[in-house]
Amino acid sequence: MKMLRKVCLTLLAGMFLAVPFASADETELVIDGSTTVGPISKAFAEYFMEENPGVNVTVSESGSGNGIKSLINGACDIGQASRWMKEGEFKAAVENGVFPVAHVVGLDGLAPVVHPANPVGNLTLDEIRDIYAGEIRNWNEVGGPNMGIVKVSRDTNSGTYGVWQDVVMRGKDISADAEYVGSNGAIRARVQNTRGAIGYVGLGFVDRTVKGVSVEGIEPTPVNTATGRYPIARPLYMFTNGYPELGSALHRFVTIHMTPVGQSLVESIGFVPQTQY
Amino acid sequence: MEIETRKILNKSFTGTGWLSIALLAGALVVFLAPIVVRGMGAFVFRSTVEFRVMQDDIFERGNKDKLEEDLRKARAAREPVYEKLEAFEQELEEMSIVDRLEYRDSYDELRNAVRELLGPAPGEERASLPRNRYGQTRMDRAGHSLHHLLYIETYDYSDPTRMGELIYEPRSQEFEGTALEGLFEYAENNFEAMMRPRTEFYWQFLIDQPVDSNIFGGIWPAILGTFYLTLGAIIFAVPMGVLSAIYLVEYAADNWMVSLLRTFVSTLAGVPSIVFGLFGLAFFINTIGVSESKSVLAGSLTLGLLILPMVIRSSEEAIRAVPMEYKEASLGLGAGKWRTVLTVILPSALPGIITGIIISMGRAAGETAPIIFTAAVSVGRALKPSQVFTNPTPALPWNIYNLATEHEMVDEIRHVQFGMVLTLIVLVLLLNMTAIVLRARISKKLKG
Repeated sequence: MKMLRKVCLTLLAGMFLAVPFASADETELVIDGSTTVGPISKAFAEYFMEENPGVNVTVSESGSGNGIKSLINGACDIGQASRWMKEGEFKAAVENGVFPVAHVVGLDGLAPVVHPANPVGNLTLDEIRDIYAGEIRNWNEVGGPNMGIVKVSRDTNSGTYGVWQDVVMRGKDISADAEYVGSNGAIRARVQNTRGAIGYVGLGFVDRTVKGVSVEGIEPTPVNTATGRYPIARPLYMFTNGYPELGSALHRFVTIHMTPVGQSLVESIGFVPQTQY
Repeated sequence: MEIETRKILNKSFTGTGWLSIALLAGALVVFLAPIVVRGMGAFVFRSTVEFRVMQDDIFERGNKDKLEEDLRKARAAREPVYEKLEAFEQELEEMSIVDRLEYRDSYDELRNAVRELLGPAPGEERASLPRNRYGQTRMDRAGHSLHHLLYIETYDYSDPTRMGELIYEPRSQEFEGTALEGLFEYAENNFEAMMRPRTEFYWQFLIDQPVDSNIFGGIWPAILGTFYLTLGAIIFAVPMGVLSAIYLVEYAADNWMVSLLRTFVSTLAGVPSIVFGLFGLAFFINTIGVSESKSVLAGSLTLGLLILPMVIRSSEEAIRAVPMEYKEASLGLGAGKWRTVLTVILPSALPGIITGIIISMGRAAGETAPIIFTAAVSVGRALKPSQVFTNPTPALPWNIYNLATEHEMVDEIRHVQFGMVLTLIVLVLLLNMTAIVLRARISKKLKG
């Protein structure tokens, strides 16, 4: 009996301990969405929380589609996306009383990546499309070794996937034997371990372990992206519900990219700052 | 049957038993040993002077005088490197523009390699991201960086019909006959002097805030988040689960409704965890809106649902196992049904119930899928208890996944990932041990 009472009391105490006590000075910023914009948000969050100890910024990376859905449902303050919102999403947002405002925090090139041992260093847009459409199935058809091509794509929820559809696939479907993975990092991991693989990631994810392939003879570099020469480029967005109240934590957060520090943050993670300074 | 055959059969049966136990133990060792060994790498490792500088900068930890001394020696050892770089820059100035262009890319790459190993050059502006403020903090990573500094990793693509072959070209070749010639040999020979390695026991990994999305610092917010989520799940699941079990065993009539109910509970136990996750998002957050965004509360509720069938089943079994005589004696002495349940049946069933609860705690602590959409984020502060109703939190299972797949610097911070894995496994192990100890103590008390 005594034991039981003790257990009951502990449980009750646990419940009451968890009851909220007034917390006035605590602000929270919830950020969700694109895994491409994720590193930017995380860097911004790091910098922002250092400057504003009273604000808790949380960042999750669940893909552009989920980020936008969260924003529409009011489940996040900032929906990060690596693509523009779709018509249906706008409609749903407005019906829910959410009026999305886009903040372009940086630019990004979308680099096709292959295993570093792969001698293929340049592909045309049409070649890449045909590879993903399943019409080119072997590297020797594009001047490489005799080896089957393993196509790795982002999941359909991803903004990167959306941009790839628009710019590269142009109406053709990605063939059914492509692998779909959930993040930029996962594509990179797959490509660095698979000799015949091709994938596509944001510029910030191209490192020594994979080889970025030139498209139409133009290398995927920040400079080529900023100048518009590199063909597969896109802006990176943070969507908010309306323009945030001036001076609020949210407002300060979505304007970080306009400060010199913000631009150097974007640049140092490998993306392209939106403005040149 | 012949007595001899029977003996042989008997022995072979025992033998098979032993063999399977040995196999199980072997599998456990194969499974756990790498986790423990690699996980310990987050706690015990050879640190460089950069690590101490970082610790002093960010956490104000360590002996200042010793660090000063260490840093002085390291800087002295590094000076020739920077001198050579400077001398080469002088040379560049005097070169013709054509020669200068020839060196441009290779020199940039060299500067970056030096920076990766040693951190910012003296006098360089303070970088805005902590990851760019320090050189390599761990000797194992520093070794990789040194290798990258000494050798260029290229692939031989001369035969386009075959996959390229990896070759390491000494970087010194590129700078033959310039002021940089001696740099590589110097760096190789004075590697330890430049990095000043020391064996570090970084137990604060458990209680430190992560810095710059887990690149430095510890995993405290994730541990705390896991703790909140587990505790929350228990708070929701236990009262409901135990009450349902009491109802199912003691009160429910033996009809088709109840057996249907039992089937539902069993089905619930078999539902994949990601389905719980999606349900949590759709129901707790989007429909009834327990919180505006993902939150510990929503995650706890979802996890609570997930472990509810486990709690019900184990409590049911425990209550059913109470000897009939106890109940009869209590009823015979004139106690009512409710009183009998409360004072006789529950206390005797307690060891079983608690074991069930603690094992489901282990399950709740380790689940990833239910919290992806309801509670977990990759970056966030450690929460105060007052924030659990509104804020999402990092949590160990999710962050392990996040570091393994989504993080932009996966390969540089493997040790953090393994440290998290080890912590989570130890946490679950501790929970299970508590279950065993608690069970033993309560049974002893009840008997005595």
